[in-house]
Amino acid sequence: MDILWFLTRRVLQALAVILIVTVVVFCLLHALPGGPARGILGPQATAQQIAAFNHEQGLDRSLPVQYVYYLGTLLQGDLGTSYALNEGVAQLIGQRLPKTLVLTVLSALVGLLLAIPLGMWQAVRRNKPVDYVVTGLSFVAYSTPVYFLGLVLVLVFTQVLRWFPSQAPQGDSLAQVFADPAALVLPVVSGAASMIAVFSRYMRSATLENLAEDYVRTARAGGSRRGAILRRHVFRNSLTPVVAMLGYYVPVLFGGALVVEQLFNYPGMGLLFWSAAQSSDYPVLLGCVLVISVATVVGTLLADVVQRVIDPRVKAGRA
Amino acid sequence: MNANTGTDILEVEGLGVTFATDTGDVPAVREVSLQVRPGETLALVGESGSGKSTVALAALGLLPGNAHVSGRVAVGGTEVVGSGEDTLARLRGRTASMVFQEPATALDPLTRIGRQIAEVIRNHRPVSAREAAAEAVELLRRVGIPEPERRAAAFPFQLSGGQRQRVVIAMAIANSPELLVADEPTTALDVTVQAEILDLLRELAADSGTGVLLVTHNMGVVADFADRVAVMLHGEIVETGPVEEVLLRPRHDYTRRLLAAVPRLTVTGPAQAGSTAAPPTPEDPTDPASPVVRLRDVSVQFGHRAGAVRALHEVSLTVGPGETVGLVGESGSGKSTAARVALGLVKPSGGAVSLFGADLRRTRGRARRRLLSGVGVVLQDPVASLDARMSVAQCVAEPLLVHRRDMRAAERRSRVADMLERVGLEKKLAARGPRELSGGQRQRVSLARALVLEPRLLVADEPTSALDVRVQRTVLEVIAELQRELGFACLFVSHDLAVVQQFAQRVVVLRAGEVVEQGPTGNTLLQPTSEYTRRLIAAVPVPDPVVQRRRRAERGNSTALAGRGVTA
Amino acid sequence: MSAVLRTAAPAAEAISPHRLSVRRFARNKLAVGGLAVVVLFLLFCFVGPLVWPTDQTHTDLTQVNLPPGGAHPLGTDAVGHDELGRLMFGGKVSLLVGLAAGILATVVGTLWGAVAGYAGGWVDAVMMRIVDAGIAIPALFILLVVSAITTPGPLGLIVILGLVSWLVPSRLVRAETLTLKSRDYVLTLRAIGGTHGRAIGRHILPNSVSTIVVAATFQVADAILLVAYVSYLGLGVQPPATDWGGMLSAGLTAAYSERWWLIVPAGLAIILVVCAFNAIGDGLRDAFDVRGRA
Repeated sequence: MDILWFLTRRVLQALAVILIVTVVVFCLLHALPGGPARGILGPQATAQQIAAFNHEQGLDRSLPVQYVYYLGTLLQGDLGTSYALNEGVAQLIGQRLPKTLVLTVLSALVGLLLAIPLGMWQAVRRNKPVDYVVTGLSFVAYSTPVYFLGLVLVLVFTQVLRWFPSQAPQGDSLAQVFADPAALVLPVVSGAASMIAVFSRYMRSATLENLAEDYVRTARAGGSRRGAILRRHVFRNSLTPVVAMLGYYVPVLFGGALVVEQLFNYPGMGLLFWSAAQSSDYPVLLGCVLVISVATVVGTLLADVVQRVIDPRVKAGRA
Repeated sequence: MNANTGTDILEVEGLGVTFATDTGDVPAVREVSLQVRPGETLALVGESGSGKSTVALAALGLLPGNAHVSGRVAVGGTEVVGSGEDTLARLRGRTASMVFQEPATALDPLTRIGRQIAEVIRNHRPVSAREAAAEAVELLRRVGIPEPERRAAAFPFQLSGGQRQRVVIAMAIANSPELLVADEPTTALDVTVQAEILDLLRELAADSGTGVLLVTHNMGVVADFADRVAVMLHGEIVETGPVEEVLLRPRHDYTRRLLAAVPRLTVTGPAQAGSTAAPPTPEDPTDPASPVVRLRDVSVQFGHRAGAVRALHEVSLTVGPGETVGLVGESGSGKSTAARVALGLVKPSGGAVSLFGADLRRTRGRARRRLLSGVGVVLQDPVASLDARMSVAQCVAEPLLVHRRDMRAAERRSRVADMLERVGLEKKLAARGPRELSGGQRQRVSLARALVLEPRLLVADEPTSALDVRVQRTVLEVIAELQRELGFACLFVSHDLAVVQQFAQRVVVLRAGEVVEQGPTGNTLLQPTSEYTRRLIAAVPVPDPVVQRRRRAERGNSTALAGRGVTA
Repeated sequence: MSAVLRTAAPAAEAISPHRLSVRRFARNKLAVGGLAVVVLFLLFCFVGPLVWPTDQTHTDLTQVNLPPGGAHPLGTDAVGHDELGRLMFGGKVSLLVGLAAGILATVVGTLWGAVAGYAGGWVDAVMMRIVDAGIAIPALFILLVVSAITTPGPLGLIVILGLVSWLVPSRLVRAETLTLKSRDYVLTLRAIGGTHGRAIGRHILPNSVSTIVVAATFQVADAILLVAYVSYLGLGVQPPATDWGGMLSAGLTAAYSERWWLIVPAGLAIILVVCAFNAIGDGLRDAFDVRGRA
C-alpha cells in the first residue's frame, strides 16, 4: 500500500523530469542557427530548401504545436536521422549504448568496491596517517581532469611498463568487447578514479556519523566488539545514504565515459557524441542528450527504490 | 560507609573524569566514590552538568575517547579503568549492562529487534543462532512485549518509545547481569509509560538480586525506586544516604534547595491552585463574550490521503482575560498543535478559531498583524528559540521592530533594557549572544521578547521542561510575577501535572487529539471524572518515598482490577 | 555523554562561535595548506608577470619547443611562448573564470533553493523537478553541444559554466531553508505577525551563510576543473589567449614525443588549485559544522 503509493509518486516525478528534459532539448533544437531544418538538412542546405522543409514539416507553425508534434515523434521512438552517417539516430544509439553501459557499470562497480571499504577504513582510523594519505589521494584523484589522468595512465602503463594496450577493445558486439579484458583495464580505471575519490569521502563521513550514534554505544554495552559492530550495524546504516547518492552520480559517469571513450578510442555512445559534435550532427547530439538524461532519471529512480528496499523505515513511508 | 567492600558489585573510588574539548580541558567528575551492593538500587541524582551520567558511563568503561579517567572502578571484582577492550567486552552485557535515556536512538534502526537481543546473548554464551533467537523471544515476553514471536521480527521504528525501552531492557538482562546501570531510563517517556518501565525494572532487579545504579534528575523516580541516594553537584557527591533520610531529612544545603524546587503534585486535601500564580480575579472565564482566545470544534489533519494523521478532533477551549489555562497531555495528545492553532501557525481543517474576538482564519494583512501584536510566545527549546546570530538585545527588540516601526531607537533601547530587568537579567547580558547564556537565561530572554509588546495573551509551550527544577522554579516565578503586573492571559502547555497544578486556574486534559476533560484545576486534578486523568495522576511519582510506596500499592490494585491498563 | 560536553563546555571558557570556527579551521592542516596554495597561485598569476615579464601575444618561431633551462626555466611551446610566463598568463583566465563561474552558480543556486524551500508546496515541487532535469543532463554533454553551436569569449564562458553548475548548491540551500524555516525563532516571529521578508532576510539567509560559503568554495573548485575540460571540448578561449586547460590539451599530442614540459606544469597547476579549494571547503565545512558534500 505505502510502497505502491511511493512508487506511483516517484514514477510520476520521474516522468515530469523527463518531460522537462524534452522541453530543454526542444529549445536547444530551436536555438540552433537555422533551427531544426538546418540540423536535419545539414550545413549545405540553401535558404529555399530550408523554407520548403519548414513548411513541409509544419515548422512554420507555433512553437507549442511543434513541441507536441516533436513529443509525438519521440514517443514513436523516432530520434531523427544523422546526416553525417545517414542512419537513424535511434539505431545508432541502440548499437553504441550497450558498450557505454558496460564501461560505466564496470567503472561504477570497481569504484564502489574500492571506495566503500576505503571510506570505512578511513573513518575507523580517523585523523591517523592512513586517513590523511587516503584523503590527500582522493583530493588528487578528484581534482585531476579525466583526460589528463588517462594520458598519464597510458604513458605509464603502455609506454613505460607495457602492461596494457593503449586502445580499448574494438569491434561491434559485446562479445568482442569482453574478449580482450586487458584492454578494458585502463578505460575502466580512468572512469572509476573520481568515483573512488567521491564515494570514499561519502562513506567516510557516513561511517563517522554512524559511529557516533547511540546504537553503537548500546551494542558496546552489550559486549559486542568493534569489528562486529562495524560489520553488523555501522556498515549497513552507512551504506543507505551512499546508495542514495549513487543516482545523482549517473550523469557524472556518463560525462566521464564521454572523455574516456574519446581518449581510448572505444566505440561507445560517448565517441559517437564526440564525432557528432565535430561534424555538427545535431540530431545525434540531441538524441544522445535525451537518451542519457532518461538513463539518469531511471538510474536515480532505481537508486531511490533500492534505498527503500534496504531501509525498512522508508519502505513503510515513515522516515 | 560500607565496610564489607568485597561483596559490592560496583565499587567506585576516587573517580575523576576530564574531557578534552575545543575550548580546553573540562573536569566533569571529581573524587567520586560509591558502592552498589547486590540487590540494592543506588540512585545518583543531580542537575544537568553535575556529572552523574559520566559516572554511569565510566562504570562500564563507555566514556568517549576524549575522556581522561583517574581513580578506580571495579565491577564484580574486575578493574574497569585501564582495562583493554577485550576485558571490557567480556564484562559488558554479562556482568554489567546498561539501559540508556533515548529509546528512539538506542537501537540499530536496520536490524530486527530479535537479532539485536540474540547478538548480546551470543556475545557471551556459545549457543546456536536458533537457540539465541528462541531466548530472545522469551526475553521479549519477560519484558512485557505482546506477541513476542511476531514482534521479534519487527524493526525498532515499528515499536513505540516504551516498547523500545523494553527491548533495550531485554538486551540488558539477556545474560542475567549482576549490575544494571540505568541512565535516565524513563526521562524520554510519558508518565504512564514511565510507571510501567519502573515497575518492570523493579521486578527484574528483585527477581534476580541485581544491583542497580539509577541515574536520574527526577526525585519522584528516586522515591519510587531507590534504596539509597547519592546527590551530585558540580562533579562531586555532596550527600549520600538511605532514600527516606535524603529525601525527607536532607542534611546538605544543596539537597534541601533542590528538593524545595521540585514541583509537587498535591494529591490529597484541598489544592492551593495557582499558589505561584495569583493574577487579578479573572473576569468570568466562562463568559462567551470576552474570551481572549477560543477554539470551537477544531480539527487538524497532517498529511494527505493514505498518510493522513489526525492531530486534533473537535477540540473546544477558551482562555478568558487574565486567566491561565493549562493544556496537559502525553506526547501525541495534540497539546502543542492546539497551541499552534491558537497562534495561527497551524491551519485547522475544521472548526473556528477566534483571537480577541476576531476570526483568525478570515483576518488577513494589516488587520491580522495588529491582532497578532497582542500575542507573546515562549517555546520549549531554549537553544532553538533564539537566533544564535543575534545579541540578546536584538532578540528582545524584534517584536518592536515588527509592530512599532515608528519607535525611535533610543526609546526602543530603553524598552528592551526595562524588559530585561523585569525578567531578572543583568544589563551586561544584553550585548551577549544566546550561546553564551545558560538554558534558564535563554528562556528569560524568550520571555522578555514575548512580553515586550505587553501582549494580552502569552502562549507558553512547555517553557520550562528543558530546564532543571531550580531554574524551572525561578522562571515560573518570573512569569507569575509579570502576569500579576501586566495582567495577560496565558495558555500554558505542559506535560507536567504538578507544574500545571501550581500555575493554572483551569486545566484542559487532552488525549490522542481529543479533550478528555476540563475544569478548574483544583477539582479536575483532585477529583478527576475521567478514568484517563485518574490514571495519569496515579502514574506521577511524588518525591516522598513513604507516600509514593502507598500510591504505588494503590495503583497496583486499581490496575489489577482494570486489567492490564495501558500498554506502553 | 554529548550532553555532558554541551552543558559543560560554556563553563570552561566563554568563546564566540565565530572565533571557535576560526580556531577549528586553523587546526586543519590540509585546509590551511590549501589556503596557502591558493594565495601562492594568485600571487604567481597576477603579480608574477611583473617579476617575470614575457611576450604571450607574438609567436617566436626561432624559440620553438625548447626544453627547460637557461632563459626559459619551463621551456617554450610549439609557437615559442615561454612556458613559465604562459602558466601565469593562462592561470589568470582559469582562476578568474573559475571563481566567477563558481560564484555565479552559487548565487543562482542560493536564490533558487531559498525560494523553493521557503515557498514549499507545488512551487517547491515544480522548481525541484527543474533542478532534477538539469542534473539529469550531464554538463559535459551540454558544453559539447554549445561548442558545436558557438565559441564564446571569457564572459560567455562564465555564464555558460555558471548555468550548468548551479544545481547542486540549489539543493543544499533548499535543504537548509527547509530546516531553518521550522526553527522555533522563525515560528515565534511568524506567530507574532512578522513578515516573510523579515523571516528570510533576518533569520534564514544570515543563518545559511556558512552553508553557502562552503558550497561556494566547492563550486569554485568544480568550476576551475570544468574550465580545464572546456578547452579539451573545443569551447575554450581563443588564441593568443589561453588557460591551463588550453595549454594541457594543446600539449596532449606532444606527450608521446617526450616534451613533458608542455603538459606537466599545467596539469599540476590545475590539480593543485582544485585540490586546494576542495581542502579549504572541507576545512570550512568542519569549522562551521554544517552539512555539505562529503
